[in-house]
Amino acid sequence: MDQQCFLDNIRAAVARNAKPSPTPLPEWDPAMVTSQLAPDTDSDSASLWETFCQRFRAVNGQTIEGIGPLIALLLNADAKHGYLAPELNGPLAGPLQNAGITLESAIDTTRIDDYAFGITRAAGIIAETGSVVINESSTPSRLGALAPWIHVTLIDANTKVFATLVDAIKDLGDEPYVVFATGPSKTADVEGILIEGVHGPGMQICLRL
Amino acid sequence: MIPANRIVGKQVQFMITCLCDTFYDHVAQASVELLEQVGCLVDVPDGQTCCGQPAFNAGDWESARKVIRHTLRTFTGDQPIIIPSGSCAHMVFHGYQLVFENGTDAEKEAARTLAGRTWEICDFLVNGLGIQTWHGRFDGKISLHRSCHTRGSNTYSAALQLLRSIDGVEILEFDESEQCCGFGGTFSVAYPNTSAAMGTLKIDKLTAVKPDLIGAVDMACMLHLSGLAEKQKRPFRKMHVVEILLQALRNAPTNPPVIHS
Amino acid sequence: MKTSQPIDAFGRDLSQEVKESVYSSSKAKYDKRIGALNAGYIAPDSLRKLAGQIKQHTLENLPSYLESAIGKLEANGAKVHYAKDGEEANATILGIMNAAGATKLIKSKSMVSEEIHLNAFLENNGCESVESDLGEFIVQLDHDMPSHIVTPIVHKNRQQIATTFEKMGLGDYNDDPTTITRRARTYLRKKYLEAEVGLTGANFVSAESGRIVLVTNEGNARFSICANRIHIVLVGIEKLVPRDKDLALFLNLLARSATGQQLTVYTQFINGPKAPDQIDGPGEMHVVFLDNGRSEILAGEFQSILRCIRCGACLNVCPVYRQTSGHAYRAVYPGPVGAVLSPLLAGKRYPEFADLPKASSLCGACNEVCPVDIPLPELLLRHRNKSKLEHIQKASAGTPPLGGWAVLCSTPSMWKSTLTLGKVMDYVPMKLVPVPAVQAWTQTRTLPPFRGGKFRGWYKEHRKHDSGNNQ
Repeated sequence: MDQQCFLDNIRAAVARNAKPSPTPLPEWDPAMVTSQLAPDTDSDSASLWETFCQRFRAVNGQTIEGIGPLIALLLNADAKHGYLAPELNGPLAGPLQNAGITLESAIDTTRIDDYAFGITRAAGIIAETGSVVINESSTPSRLGALAPWIHVTLIDANTKVFATLVDAIKDLGDEPYVVFATGPSKTADVEGILIEGVHGPGMQICLRL
Repeated sequence: MIPANRIVGKQVQFMITCLCDTFYDHVAQASVELLEQVGCLVDVPDGQTCCGQPAFNAGDWESARKVIRHTLRTFTGDQPIIIPSGSCAHMVFHGYQLVFENGTDAEKEAARTLAGRTWEICDFLVNGLGIQTWHGRFDGKISLHRSCHTRGSNTYSAALQLLRSIDGVEILEFDESEQCCGFGGTFSVAYPNTSAAMGTLKIDKLTAVKPDLIGAVDMACMLHLSGLAEKQKRPFRKMHVVEILLQALRNAPTNPPVIHS
Repeated sequence: MKTSQPIDAFGRDLSQEVKESVYSSSKAKYDKRIGALNAGYIAPDSLRKLAGQIKQHTLENLPSYLESAIGKLEANGAKVHYAKDGEEANATILGIMNAAGATKLIKSKSMVSEEIHLNAFLENNGCESVESDLGEFIVQLDHDMPSHIVTPIVHKNRQQIATTFEKMGLGDYNDDPTTITRRARTYLRKKYLEAEVGLTGANFVSAESGRIVLVTNEGNARFSICANRIHIVLVGIEKLVPRDKDLALFLNLLARSATGQQLTVYTQFINGPKAPDQIDGPGEMHVVFLDNGRSEILAGEFQSILRCIRCGACLNVCPVYRQTSGHAYRAVYPGPVGAVLSPLLAGKRYPEFADLPKASSLCGACNEVCPVDIPLPELLLRHRNKSKLEHIQKASAGTPPLGGWAVLCSTPSMWKSTLTLGKVMDYVPMKLVPVPAVQAWTQTRTLPPFRGGKFRGWYKEHRKHDSGNNQ
């Protein structure tokens, strides 16, 4: 059906049901939608990070600080081969390889299960919800951030820190694709039992450097 | 849905409700006595029958309009109308407006006016007359059933407030208090299996906490629940909130005073 | 017990096992919802009202919001298509696939695609269409129907799923939920990577930016637009919200209402095909707007049902749904929302579904939990009135006729004599009263002693006494 006909139908329908007192579009204050779990509006960056960690852990995310703990975590999970976003080679490739971990800078879909981990950059974090913001500019490979069991997002000085969901949405801009990831992939489809790691990562890690 | 600034006053009309007119006369009587205790002059229009809800809920709005027109004619004047049923009050607030949405201006106006005079009795005591606490004594642990048609109204909170203020009353918390008893008017006979299953579950929940009695703000739920419980050989003691309030006054160590707000 | 209503019969015949699982899962979701709302907000009710108002406003102004969204979507690089009904939508989707030489489609959970029976259509046309949401995947393997809009296999247990997996060659029998999930993960990964086309629905579309917003917990909607060339969004026209900022309100409400989460695990904002330097992701994006009876609904007294954001909270709280399960409603959308929507979406087949609005005690719990404040009981009542006016037998079956009663209730003299005569009821064995409603009542319940007119008698005496006192 063409656009004209399609919209004309809808126009006619709405006109047939014109209300004597139309419903106005309400304005609303962000404070109304912001939950009690959000950080105070005047929080400094340290307390924003603290709230984020708390909320992120509440959804079974893990936060670690420094390369040493990252290596320990990967080795502990027997994750010795994975994907590292090429722009993160600088800080991470050397130390990881020195620890015996092998890296690829692209995902070969014919070997999708060879990547035990994927490390990409976080475009932002949201303190209120414990979410990591992943977008096209920060993460050139969608698969690298999704397919491996362990997904590590790197948080550094360039990572935006949003206090609230409202703030993060305000900042979506022209990015063609943005994901707010709030913990590991999960389901409760089978008898309501929570299982993590359905199609996406079973472990969602934030690495702060 | 409930109009703001409803009419208040101590000269009131009483709507018996068809269930109290046929089965639960003691609830209607207690309501009148209670209203008099708080200083009201109660008139009971003789021509009244039913609010029309059975037909409205069944989808027979033509029949409902017939009964509603009769009710509108019966309750003339400008006094508050007091009803011992959250459901019938809800019918006036909601159903009366809905069935006349394509009606004449006069009908719409009459329906609106009636809603502006209508009070469920607990709501009236607390929010109409401003009575905040209740005098007297009543010894009992009570599961207060939240009748569904009091959703969105102040009935349940008003009933709780008054009951809690009575010496000797203990209000019990019970599971799934938001769930329906399964009556639903003609639903109870059109969906006999579902209705009975819902009611059985409701009785389980209401009685699990071992109350001395089950309190009600609507006898329709009680007609269904106590009917089920009796058939299941597990009858329970039930009282409408107004009966409890009246009993509390009578149990007061001193003669019940007229309560002034 | 004998019943003339199909939903009542379905609930009666439902196995105890399914009944128990539907009941306990509904209760758990209800409790989680309350917990999440109260943990988040002091006055969650005000959010529901606000969201309802925004959605209502959007519906009343849908043409201009659609135009705005279309303009933005096209500017963002998406191709927009328009489907009057399911047939057109299916043909459009097949057309896109054919044009791209594609035969394999992976689908993330989408209720509209169920509404138009897309899977069957594509399969009949030589294409593969694979459900990727775990629950929907299991439903598809079983040639079953989802029974809940958020948790589709709430009617199944792990043993049944394990049996299906074994039969379909997904490993030896193993009913451990983790194993089931891992096996689906492995199997579906292949499907994600093979598919040329990923089809998703949309939870919201922003009229302001054309942004498509999708939420999933499993990540299937992410994977469905990762490894393939083409992304098709199938979306009902009612999914619009006016502004990007409104998304914050709706996302907060949706997650809490649906699953008791603060936010769904993955919230995706899609603003067109992938960026040129992005390695993977669809370079081609199509948005198919579906009407399928919605404009008809928009024009009438059921308009507000189109506010629905498909959270399933009304199902979870509904006592009738809890007793009868989603399949009792014989349609894609079960529970209170389904009881309102299904007869409307059925179009000319309205009478077939006219009994659905009867499946309610009108308790109003659905409205109380609805994140967009849809007056569901009122809409159910409107359906009942419509069915009555159209003399639809399926709706009226089992409901006693009330015409005579209305005469009685509008004639006070008759009413009063009935109050007196009614006493005979106490002496007639109910079993012998040949009135179906009486039979239905007394099979499970007693009637209290008849006390017609007693109050009136007391009041007359009381008044006499009173006026005596006053003189």
